[in-house]
Amino acid sequence: MRQQYAVRSLVLIVGFAFVALAVIVQMIRIQNSEQAKIFLSQGDQYSGEFRMFYPERGEIYDRNGHLLAGNRTVYELGVNLSQMENPQTLASTLGTYLGLTYEDVYDQLTNSPKSWEYIVIQDYVGTETVTALQKLMQQKKDANDNSLSGLGFKPHFQRSYPENSLASNVLGFVTRDGRGYFGIEEKYNDLLAGNPVQVWVPTDPNRASELPKVPNGTTLVLTLNRDLQAQVENILDTSISNYGAENGAIIVMDPRTGDILAMATTPRLDLNNYTNYFSTYDNGSQYNRAIGMAYEAGSVVKILTMAAALDTGTVSPNTTFIDTGSIDVGGITIHNWDRKPWGQQDMIGCLQHSLNVCLAWISTQMGPQTFYGYMERFGLGHPTGIDLSGEAMGRLKVPGDTDWYNVDLGTNAFGQGVTVTPLQLMMAASAIANDGKMVTPHVLYSMLRDGHQYNVPSQYAGSPIRSETAHTLTDMLTVSLEGESSSALVPGYRIAGKTGTAQIPTDYGYDDTHTNASFIGWGPVDDPQFMIYVWLQKPSASIWSSETAAPVFSQVAEQTVILLNIPPDMVRNQFGSR
Amino acid sequence: MQAQATQIIHAYKQAPWRVQRQYVGAFLLAVIGISMIAALYLQVTARAAATGREIQEMRFEITTMQRANADLETQLANLTSTAEMEHRAQALGYRPVKPGELDYVAVPGFVAPEPAILLAAEDVTEYSQSLPSEYTQSLVEWLDERVKTGGY
Repeated sequence: MRQQYAVRSLVLIVGFAFVALAVIVQMIRIQNSEQAKIFLSQGDQYSGEFRMFYPERGEIYDRNGHLLAGNRTVYELGVNLSQMENPQTLASTLGTYLGLTYEDVYDQLTNSPKSWEYIVIQDYVGTETVTALQKLMQQKKDANDNSLSGLGFKPHFQRSYPENSLASNVLGFVTRDGRGYFGIEEKYNDLLAGNPVQVWVPTDPNRASELPKVPNGTTLVLTLNRDLQAQVENILDTSISNYGAENGAIIVMDPRTGDILAMATTPRLDLNNYTNYFSTYDNGSQYNRAIGMAYEAGSVVKILTMAAALDTGTVSPNTTFIDTGSIDVGGITIHNWDRKPWGQQDMIGCLQHSLNVCLAWISTQMGPQTFYGYMERFGLGHPTGIDLSGEAMGRLKVPGDTDWYNVDLGTNAFGQGVTVTPLQLMMAASAIANDGKMVTPHVLYSMLRDGHQYNVPSQYAGSPIRSETAHTLTDMLTVSLEGESSSALVPGYRIAGKTGTAQIPTDYGYDDTHTNASFIGWGPVDDPQFMIYVWLQKPSASIWSSETAAPVFSQVAEQTVILLNIPPDMVRNQFGSR
Repeated sequence: MQAQATQIIHAYKQAPWRVQRQYVGAFLLAVIGISMIAALYLQVTARAAATGREIQEMRFEITTMQRANADLETQLANLTSTAEMEHRAQALGYRPVKPGELDYVAVPGFVAPEPAILLAAEDVTEYSQSLPSEYTQSLVEWLDERVKTGGY
């Protein structure tokens, strides 16, 4: 009996062992078969996906931490065709919510190529619309209605400008493809955009740690003061309207550091509707005419001529000049702006009455080599190197150029025949306001990335004149303004400055009816904290800058001292003496 | 007598049912061991999978929160934009100040605070700029330093 049980047990054991072995053999055979490789590769397709990670574009702030350019969430709205149950309802709903026609949406949903699983109905859909659609979907789901199944939303960022057109000429804009155009957005596009990363994203939760961490783009802090920028834009717009000017530009800079505190130009673009660019501008140089448009600035250039003459010792403030109303340079007769003789003048008088003849005489006394050497050192004919895209470099003809004539030595001395941008003149004049040291203007104050801050240091672009020359000329310009009771003066503050009324060159000589009115000034003269440049293009109320640009300078200076907390000279001196 | 007792004990130890029970015990012990290892492996794998899923969800949550944060920042900036603030100030009866209406008070030692956006970050400017003197010193400056320090 026991023997029988033993045999049966053995048979059963062998039988089970055989079955188990067969299962194992079959498992190994299947796993190593050709089909298994195909199955594995098919499985891999669902184990994850290649996905492009776009970092959040860096934000842009003003120097006081006000957001000038940020990001907001918008949605790509699409339909998963394999999950779609009711194209009619989808077409009707999407047509209503997205402002599309039923036929268009229905056509997209039903006539797409069969290989397509997902189609985009509309991108950059706002949060409000998406929230309303999500609410409707939930209501239908609660009622066991699947007519909107397949509808999906993919969130992503879109550039947003909370201040709309404020400082648009400095900021530039970002198009839907994520590329920056003009201004800061173009100049620092790579920094702001960060580095997009394409990676394999596994669906296996055990491989969650393999998900990449994509750092955001660099956040930039600008030197701009938002409130001052708003005030300056407001003054510019009002002035253009009051004086009947075509366009204009105003820049406020700290002459000690080169920080651009405000830079206003016209026309400006609402950056949230950048597609209006082509209807607003004829060409790119108009986008920021403070840096992109060179023009003959006229008498404001006289301060550079005088600086060179003082620095070389060609003249001193007390040097006298007998003005006969004309001077011959290179065989061409040069006249004063009023074509009248002004008699005996010292150098302050020459600046105060803006005498072309006097300045032409000074440049001939210096000679072309010295004069153009100084103009080059002041940076004329070269870009300033400001960190904004689209800078023009103007034109300074020099001896040896095919279009340079002897008379240019005389006319260039009072700003005719030489083209500059407003910013170039500011940079050159910063040497006069800043003890002879010329600063490189810049808009970037600081960069922030991964919790670290990098401040952009001020850069000097050389010392074209001596410190004594800078002080002497500043005093001359201050006395000159005060002597003529200029409308550029600011009560309580000593200001140095110079007007510039320039005829406009055309293909047929100079236009007698229109001018470019400019003014450059800085203050307080004992401790310059701001430098302001005003340019009004073709003002019709008056052709003279003393009646247009000069009062605009005064208005801007008044707002500047308020917003930068610069006390009047008397108060500052009281504080200083304590 | 003693030999008989030894024989009985030996027969007991050699009893077939006892040998079989030893085999069964060993088998059960192996099964229990394997089960414990399998259970432990299953638990660790399950926990890893659950944690991985949590990480995935938290990453998604972070992205959602970053989006919400960016949206809120933009909304806040819209509400405090210059145009909006000016409009609200005028509605409250305020007007722009004129230069003559300002009084200045000197506060010794007062330094205007930096904006919050800059305070939140660590300033690395100095580290980036602090090149060793070997890279910045001219030969004359180096000689001057040597002379002043007596060659040390």
